[in-house]
Amino acid sequence: MTRPILIMFLVLLLVAGGLGIYAYHLKNRVVTEEQRLARQQSIVLPPSTGPTTSVTFFVPSDAEGILHRSQEAIALPEERSERLRAILRALFARYPQTAPATPNTAGSDLRDVFLFGNDTAVVDASAAFADSRPSGVLAEDLTVASIVATLNANNPQIVRVKILVDGKERETLAGHADLRRFYTAGEVDTFAKDAK
Amino acid sequence: MRRSRPRSIPIAGLLLLALGVLFAHWYRQSVVLAQPREGVPLSVYSRQAYYSVPLMQLNGQSYVGLVELLEPLGTVDARIDGKKLKLNFVAPGSRELEVQFQDGKDKGKLKGDNIKLPANFSIQNGRGFIPLSAVSEVLARTLSQQIRLNPAALRLFIGDVGEHFTLDLRNGTPSKLFISFGVPVNPTIAADSNHIRFTFRKDAVLPTVDQASYNDPLITSAQFTEHDGIAELDITGTGALLANIADGGRTFVVTGGPTIPPQVAQQMPPPDLHIPSQPTEGLRRPYTGPRFLVIIDPAHGGPDVGAAITPDIAEKDLVLTLARRLQRELSNQHVFSSLLRNSDIAISLDQRAISANAARPALYVALHAANTGHGVHVFTSMVDASSLATRDFLPWETAQAAYLDTSSIAAGSIAAELETRKLQNSLRPASLRPTNNIAAPAIAVEIAPPGDNVPDIASAAYLDQVAQSIAAGIVAVRNKIPEVRP
Repeated sequence: MTRPILIMFLVLLLVAGGLGIYAYHLKNRVVTEEQRLARQQSIVLPPSTGPTTSVTFFVPSDAEGILHRSQEAIALPEERSERLRAILRALFARYPQTAPATPNTAGSDLRDVFLFGNDTAVVDASAAFADSRPSGVLAEDLTVASIVATLNANNPQIVRVKILVDGKERETLAGHADLRRFYTAGEVDTFAKDAK
Repeated sequence: MRRSRPRSIPIAGLLLLALGVLFAHWYRQSVVLAQPREGVPLSVYSRQAYYSVPLMQLNGQSYVGLVELLEPLGTVDARIDGKKLKLNFVAPGSRELEVQFQDGKDKGKLKGDNIKLPANFSIQNGRGFIPLSAVSEVLARTLSQQIRLNPAALRLFIGDVGEHFTLDLRNGTPSKLFISFGVPVNPTIAADSNHIRFTFRKDAVLPTVDQASYNDPLITSAQFTEHDGIAELDITGTGALLANIADGGRTFVVTGGPTIPPQVAQQMPPPDLHIPSQPTEGLRRPYTGPRFLVIIDPAHGGPDVGAAITPDIAEKDLVLTLARRLQRELSNQHVFSSLLRNSDIAISLDQRAISANAARPALYVALHAANTGHGVHVFTSMVDASSLATRDFLPWETAQAAYLDTSSIAAGSIAAELETRKLQNSLRPASLRPTNNIAAPAIAVEIAPPGDNVPDIASAAYLDQVAQSIAAGIVAVRNKIPEVRP
């Protein structure tokens, strides 16, 4: 074997080694990115300082099959959609814990709230939130009613609510409640009136 | 003087090219082709069990995991030794035997004898795979049993397992086709305007005849097909057909069902369809089926297990049990009913609504179960009845709006019967599909545990009480619910 060919073999070996290190680096970067995203998905609670406002919450009680009404003073942002976002995050934080948090359910509960006109809100919940709710007709309806009634109670102009999951329309919340439609405050009025 | 180009550059280029080709080949073999084939697994029928084994595509061929194939049939002890898979297998009542294959080689050893596969054995992610075309020989030599593999249909029969059936058409008014099996079977039955289809997934049903034609005014043909790991028996008629189950699931009797004009069956049937009092001959056949039909829809099925009531009880299984009990109770009360799902099979929400609407039931009852709360919850649809502008055309999403009054009557009657039996209950609206899409009176019933002990939800006594309450509630308002239109 001549010297130039030997050198080229060595160069190729170095290239192969370099490619291997690069592949390993790429793999690690994916893992790091996933961990970063998971950290980003941690629950963001409303601000705990500043002027407080009295907020009405309708929290589902899956065992009793009703909503529990409560009023608390919490600090809220000024902007309308930011306020609703903060209210819903505070509401979700009050939901009964159905199971220990797992990597799949420990993510953020609320991604965003969008307002259309004065009367319509679109709530974008995370898949982790939807999957963490108990599966059942009544349990899922309580969840939907809780969101709609809480938004309406704190901003009576909002009478139509649509729920998305991870930014997309989903057929059901956890196998039962229909998420393809808009819910009106009137439809969940029975739940709100029966709330304790 | 002209300087010559070093010879090492083209050589290095060639070597780099070769390296690239080798990498591309490795990537294709290890990453691209090693992906499991989407969807359809191999259905395996044996005396021990029915099970399915996922297929993997390698080098353009279907491969099957050897351990996954053998595990349900006996005790398997497999280990990877370098590039070799060494596997010890003991079938019940048999002696241990050893199987050995090597990754990338088509030759192996089975019981100490050589065996040649039609394609190379493959080890992927620590699991050994044999080509699908080698399954018959490997299993026959491993189990010393007769093997029947239908590779196109992805159905594998081990030993003398397999159930043939007979077809017996008895002319009459209406005609009846008797489909008889030697053992009870549990197919999924689906009907549309003039077909009825029996789908067998877990039953090892084998063809007796592929096709039969009948010179009969109601039932015209029967066709048996195998594909995608299932067997299907399609009965075609000149009008709507219904199936009755008899002899503990050994016999199915296909006969005339509620007649539906074809153009209506394909869409939403409007509630007040103007049908001429003297229908034109040939367009409508004389009505021969039941006038009051209850469609029972056990929710979920297949991979959609619904709620996990306990680690051992899935909602899909519990509601199927309840559905069968309800059908029995209704039958005792002389009310004709039909199950939308009578086995563990997935049906989409839209398909459930289409099937239910096509049957034009007097009442649709969806069954659900949950492990939260207590008692029985009866639901009517949460659609806005005031949104109903016309009864001539029903929007799919709110078709139930036209029937809310009657649905509420049925739901109230069932809640009253639950109360009579001292079962905790509630009656409320819910936005639930496909109930919203049903163009007939429709309710949903969700059972929760009767007390604090969740497994009690599956007790026979509780399920019987619930089924009796629902049946009694339906019977009590039967005269208030319009019968299916003849």
